[in-house]
Amino acid sequence: MPDHPRSSPVLVVEDDGLIRMDLADLLSDMGLAVIEAGNADQALKVMDTLPAISALLTDIDMPGSMNGIELAHLTATRHPTCPLVIISGRYNPADGTLPDGAVFLSKPISEQMLKRTLTAMKLMTGDSE
Amino acid sequence: MFPANPDCGNLFDEMDWSKTPLGAREDWSVELKTLTNVMLGSLQPMLIVWGPQQITLYNDGYAAMCGHRHPAAFGRSFRALWHDIWDAVEPIITAAYEGRGTSMDDIEFTMHRNGYPEETHFAFSYTPVRDPWGTVLGMFCACTEITAQVMVRRAERTQRERFRQVFELSPGGIAMLVGPNHVFDYANEDYYTMIGVGRDIIGKTVAEAVTEVVRQGFIDILDNVYRTGESFIARDLPIQLNRGPDGEMQRRLIDLVYQPMRQEDGAINGILVQARDVTDLRAEEASRELLSHELGHRLKNQLAMVQAIASQTLRNAPDIASARQRLSERLAVLSAAHDTILEGGRGTSTVRQLVQQMTDLHDDPAAPRFATSGPNLKIGSRPSLSLSLILHELATNAVKHGALSVPTGSVDLRWRVVLPEADRFEMIWTERGGPTVAEPLVKGSGSRLISAGLNGTSDGHVDMIYAPDGLRCIVTADLESFQKEH
Repeated sequence: MPDHPRSSPVLVVEDDGLIRMDLADLLSDMGLAVIEAGNADQALKVMDTLPAISALLTDIDMPGSMNGIELAHLTATRHPTCPLVIISGRYNPADGTLPDGAVFLSKPISEQMLKRTLTAMKLMTGDSE
Repeated sequence: MFPANPDCGNLFDEMDWSKTPLGAREDWSVELKTLTNVMLGSLQPMLIVWGPQQITLYNDGYAAMCGHRHPAAFGRSFRALWHDIWDAVEPIITAAYEGRGTSMDDIEFTMHRNGYPEETHFAFSYTPVRDPWGTVLGMFCACTEITAQVMVRRAERTQRERFRQVFELSPGGIAMLVGPNHVFDYANEDYYTMIGVGRDIIGKTVAEAVTEVVRQGFIDILDNVYRTGESFIARDLPIQLNRGPDGEMQRRLIDLVYQPMRQEDGAINGILVQARDVTDLRAEEASRELLSHELGHRLKNQLAMVQAIASQTLRNAPDIASARQRLSERLAVLSAAHDTILEGGRGTSTVRQLVQQMTDLHDDPAAPRFATSGPNLKIGSRPSLSLSLILHELATNAVKHGALSVPTGSVDLRWRVVLPEADRFEMIWTERGGPTVAEPLVKGSGSRLISAGLNGTSDGHVDMIYAPDGLRCIVTADLESFQKEH
């Protein structure tokens, strides 16, 4: 019996609309509820209006007041148990250090890697692989 | 018999001196007899000029300096021998006859003794010879030709000058420091360029001349090299130098080598400094690295975009054959949009070019179905890829289901900068004359790709209006981000 998806949505933060849409589709297909944001500022607004999110999946390089790594740090401070996934073409240490426990995934994202990561975070079970 | 001077000894013996102004040998003064004996017994070139007529006597060593003038010059006047350089010789022979000796380390004569003009150098002393009452009888000269030594010295000087030029021309700063306090002995042009042109350093210690390096620890390093004899080699060393036009401090990166220099007995007596200012070089390398990092980043993002397009295409396709066709069309559109970016260089794509690419593919020039109008607006490379895709999807949809699926239908496409603030881009696609439009129950992949909007823009919106008399699509975005190069 697969676990039920958590009731809180996964927050996907990505400024490229196509990539965001595709990632959201992928997560929905895995049985997860998804909410989207185009940058960190929108993401913060979304988080303010929601009681909780089950995970944050964010790009690094985005327009707005902060990048994805800063957003991840802020999220870690506010919700210490929230799983964090950072997704980018390449990790550049100049952008900042990842928060403890955050997972980095390289773009273009591999569906298998994403499933494995979400399983490890207990957002879904591994038997769908 | 004079074994030391066989040639001139023979001449001396055979000459009928009674027919010369000196008179018969047995009548000669004791001074002349003694000196001729000394001269003809010596291996050193010697010369005697005697009597008021300045009769010249010499030995084999001096004869060699006379070239082909010997033996004719023997027993003749001094002037006859050196007529060609008499201007130079006359003052000193006259001084000798007046009782004043002359000694010179190096006098240069151009001589014709071998039949051609020849540069020669002599060290000599003209000594007046007096009788017991003080009257000058003649002049005695012991001399040495030093032409060979002078030439060697000159060759050494030429060599030194050549080495100096090597230092001067070599790329990179070179300086020589002497003594335990590191006094500047030499510095080439590149060294001055590095520390600041026009600084006065020669003869000064490093601590006096380049004061700013003291607190940066360079004197300690020099002291250590001088004391231990171990070279100091460093790359990309940060240094602060007062090298600005007004002596202001600048931060530089240098490659630096200090090597001990030793005197003959092996003791260290100086330090050779080699330094290269690598600030610009390192900056270039860093920017190249940044560029390649940026290219890698872009490539990954493009792959992610292709991945999304492929996955959206496959996800909503009725069958594999149509999926393959749609995917290859979409990739071709992206590729064409890329060409526009690459052809003119970054920041030169325009909305008109992208619209043109779409109509080239979907319109018929013989019977145009599109009416397009709008300003020649620049568009950033990220939004340009999205806009190409949106235009392509709208056109494809119009051909399949919309206004372009019937002969009477047409598309009006216009874009503008929204006034009065002029801070937003707006594009309106309006279909007319086609079948009656109804909002589809299930969105196809085309509609989904359109709804993804303009990549890289802020506050962008795509609105699809399914009006019964024709589909409308309004694409808007903040103008600055629409035109920005990322």
